[in-house]
This record gives sequence, structure tokens and C-alpha cells, in this order.
Amino acid sequence: MAKKYTLDELLIITAAREIRDGENVILGVGLPTTAGAMAKALHAPHATLMMESGILDIEPLVPPNHIADAHSCRGFSYATDLFSMFTMTYRGYVDVCFLGVAQVDRFGNINTTVIGDYYKPKMRLPGSGGAADFLSYAKKTILTMRGGEFVNKLDYFTSPGYLDGGDSRDASGLFPKGSGPVMLLTTKGVFRFDEKTKELVLAKVHPGVSVDDIRKDIPWDLKIAPDLAETDRPTDVEIDFIRRFAPTEAVGRKLMYELAIAHSFNKALARGK
Amino acid sequence: MSVTENKVMTAKEAIGRFVKDGDHLVIGNYTVGTCAALVFEVIRQQRKGLTLYSQSGVFDVEVLVGGGCVDRLVSTYVYRAGGKEGGSAVERAMRAGTIEMEDYTNFQYNARLVAGMHGFSFMQVLEGAMVTDLFNKRSFLGDDKYRVIPCPYTGKQILTVPAANPDVCIVHVQRADRFGNAQYWGALGSVAAAALASKRIVVSCEEIVAHDIIQSSPHLTVIPGYRVDAVVEIPFGAHPTEVLGYYNLDRLMYALFFMSDMNGDGLKAWMDEWVYGCVDRHAYLDHYMAKHGAESLDAIRAKAYYSAPANYGAAYTSCWDNEDRERSMGVTLAEMERILEERGLLNG
Repeated sequence: MAKKYTLDELLIITAAREIRDGENVILGVGLPTTAGAMAKALHAPHATLMMESGILDIEPLVPPNHIADAHSCRGFSYATDLFSMFTMTYRGYVDVCFLGVAQVDRFGNINTTVIGDYYKPKMRLPGSGGAADFLSYAKKTILTMRGGEFVNKLDYFTSPGYLDGGDSRDASGLFPKGSGPVMLLTTKGVFRFDEKTKELVLAKVHPGVSVDDIRKDIPWDLKIAPDLAETDRPTDVEIDFIRRFAPTEAVGRKLMYELAIAHSFNKALARGK
Repeated sequence: MSVTENKVMTAKEAIGRFVKDGDHLVIGNYTVGTCAALVFEVIRQQRKGLTLYSQSGVFDVEVLVGGGCVDRLVSTYVYRAGGKEGGSAVERAMRAGTIEMEDYTNFQYNARLVAGMHGFSFMQVLEGAMVTDLFNKRSFLGDDKYRVIPCPYTGKQILTVPAANPDVCIVHVQRADRFGNAQYWGALGSVAAAALASKRIVVSCEEIVAHDIIQSSPHLTVIPGYRVDAVVEIPFGAHPTEVLGYYNLDRLMYALFFMSDMNGDGLKAWMDEWVYGCVDRHAYLDHYMAKHGAESLDAIRAKAYYSAPANYGAAYTSCWDNEDRERSMGVTLAEMERILEERGLLNG
């Protein structure tokens, strides 16, 4: 019988399958790192994993704490600076990057900066970090949204997706032809972008989720792929890899905190405190 | 190029595949560690019509120009052997009208490659040169040798040079792995910029080492493997120039070369003997030892002076401790899976 999996595992594995052998991949912390590590271990052994802090060709052994975490890997092949990491992206040497999203519009433009008014924020989020430049120049970007929202108009336009849709991204002359987001992964499903209109299209739904569950989050008339299917199930090998490599990612943040707090409380008790 | 392809090959194959007639070719090294074996192979394969970039056009430029490979030269410094009575291949070729040259300062030359390396179309350089003939005398680049623009922040007139993105860089380093990760230490010059600005990169090295060696010393890597097209292992590949940690400059051989280079016939005779007369670097070294004795080569071999190893270690390399419990949650994998099941967090 095939192994059962958590939602977090499904998301990580679905993202990892987007990485092809030989590709140069920029990793962010959390889901992308685990996805990158899985891809390199299982189906893309010659992928070059890199972080914008300037460490390249890393072999992660534990999930990094942040994007400059050389402690997480057993060596790397090249050390450079952040400036050069971005200019190599600008020159077209980055195939894949991953970005987490707080707000996304129908053409894959994203906001990671603020909810509400920029000057009097309702919720001040991190900002661009690497996002605006990576989404501008990586050949393909995988967007992930856990807890974010679909909106008609972004509260703040942090990073360029397909602008006004159609050929507007390519026509702007600012970005490499054909670049842009290729997938939006949410807790409910997988979205792709229509080849012509560049509008988000629902391509897969996760198990136990209905199309209506997804529609109610989206303030426009959502396009559905004609071959809509359930998200491909992870293999046992993939699930086992995630659990061994990144157990805290596999169980999800909420349960991880609960178990970690219980564990440290028990250790304190054992020391007689 | 894909990292899955085999990049390890001979100099003959590497130059044959990656250096074409009419290319803009940049010598990655400057002054030290010249990629002599690769340069000789370019000459033996009789590449024509090259636009040659060399930071300091000494030994490398002389033989390439002498070999008739070069139509255009971009450099900052050309060598002239023998004082007033001497001469150089570049000088002879300029007199004969067979090459054109653009002169830059060291900084400007490097700035062109740095711009190219980062994907910028130009770079600001130091404006004092605007009053010199470097600025005034222009050759094949014409108006595009330099352009002056107002600084958008200060309004001051600034001098710029255009980016250079040569078709191919040939470069010699101490060591590389089979994926092309190239490690070079010593005077860094413009080595990284020359390589990274270029569309194709051919690396020769004193030795090909295991990937583990590279991964445990990543700060020595100047060219990441994914950019490299060919890796050629050539011991003494920079002779008669020097490679830090491997061998010194061969002063005898260097002097003999420059004496020959004083006139065209002398250079031709030298190249007949050392370039055309030796099918590859093995043959060159055999010939050298036959002529000057193996002891001459031994005399320039470097004695070891190792840098202290840097510690790249971490506290642990797995999320699981020695009892196979997850470090932050304190549970075994089986316990973790049971909890997930109990909480109803599993799908499928």
C-alpha cells in the first residue's frame, strides 16, 4: 500500500518535481530548500543548488535556517558575493527560483511587502528580499502561497509576473523573453499560466479539495484547465526522503512547535528544573 | 553547457571545439600563470582573424601575433624585447599593417570585463584619462572605445567603457574538478572577470582533483563548474611562466624566448622549435628536458608552503541524533508518523 502523506509533504514534492537535471536552482528557506534537496537526491543529481548569499553547488544535509546557512550543507563548490549572484541571474544563468507569496493577482504579479496601506500598514511583511529581481530574471519561477490571498489589485506590487497578461511582460522589453512564473502552488491546488493570456489556470486540486473550495478564495472568474486532475500523489521514496531530510517541514509548522516545546519541557523536567 | 556532459578532454580537442576563426578570444591569465599550452594549441590549429584580449600582452600575445592568428588586439601593455635594438611581434605586425590595436589602461580593460561579467552594457572608469591620447587615439572601436555621459546624480561628466563579452576565454589555473569548478589562488588580477564575461570557457589546470577537494575549499574557486565548457589537465601548462605552488618562472627559458623575439626570423625559429615542433605539452616538456636537462625543470619546482585549512564544520549533519530522535521534536521517525496518523494529518 502506498504511504500516506501530509499536505506539507505534498507541496514540497510537487515543487521538487519542477526541477530538472542539470538546472541551476536558487533556493529560499523552507519549502524550496527541501524541494531542491529532494530533487538533487532523487531525480536531478546534476542540478546546481545555490543561495543568493553566494554559496553555490551546495549539498544540503539539513534544512537551512536562512539563505546564508553554510552550516546546513556538506561543503559547496563556489563562494561568491550577493551582487554576483544577482548579476548571474540577470545574465540568464538561473533556471529555477522559488518565491513565497502573500498576495497574487490573476497574472502572477506578487506582493510580499505590505497588507493595507504602505505608509500605515495593516500588516508589514518582509518586502522584496531577492523576490523582485529573481522573478524578473530567472527563467522560471515557482510561486508558493500558504496563507496568502488572491486579489484583483495588489496592495503593493513587489515583483513582476505577467504584468497585464498577454504579451505585456515580453513586450515591456525589461525581462528575458519567455521568463516568468510557471506555477503557483497553494494549500488547495496547483495553478499554471495560460500560454496566451498568461492568466492563472487551475491545473490540479489536492486530495479532498473541491473546485468550489478553490473558487471561493478567488475574486475573479477562475479558469479551469480542461484536463483538471488531482495533484499527482507522492511516491514512498519521495515521502521517506522528506521525512528523513526535513522532519520538521514534513509535519508542518504548527505541530513542529507543539512537539518541540513539549520536548524541551520534558528535557527541563529530566534535569530536575 | 550541461553539467552532465563530459568536460575533461585534451587541449587539442578543447581548442578544436571551442575556439573558432574570427572569435573574440580573451587570455584569462595576466602576466602570471599564462595558459601557454592552450595558446600554443590555438597557434598549432592555425586559428585566424582573432580579436585578442590580453590584460598584459607579454608572452601570450607575442606568440599569437607571431603565429598570424590575430587581426585585432585589445590590451594595456605590450612587451618589447631587447631595448632600442630589439623589437616585438606586435610592433612588427603594426608596421606591416596586419593588426589593429586598441590601448586601454589596466583598470579600463578590467572594467570592460567586469561590466561584461555582470551583464551591464558599460562601466564607469576613472575620468582623468579623458585628457590623454588613450581617449583621443582610437582604432577599430572608434566612438565606442569610450563614451562620456553626465552622472545622473552629480551632473559631472563621467568616462565610460563598453562591456566586453568575448566569445571564448582560455585560462590556466592550479586545479579543477571534472565538472569544471576551477580553483586559482595568488594574484587574482582579472582572471575571474575574463572567464565569467566570456560566452565559452576552456580551463587548463595543473591537476584535476576530486570534487570533494573543491567542496572543502570553495573560496578558492574562481569559476563555477556550470560555466565551464572544457577542462584540460596539463602539468606545466603555464611554463615558462609561473604557477603559485607548482613552479617558478623559468628565467632561462623566458630570456631565451625574448632574445629570439627581437626579430621576426628569431621568433619564427623559436616557434618552429617549441610550438609547431612539439605536438603537445608532453612533447614540449620532453624536448625541454632533452635540451636543458630534467634538473632545470626540477630547479623551478615549488617547495610546499600550505595555507592553514579553514574549518567548514557544523554541529551536526542530520536532523536525527545518535539515538535516531529528531533533534528539536525529540521523537523517532516511527513516533512522528504515529502522531501524524493520530492527528488525522495524513492524506492519500
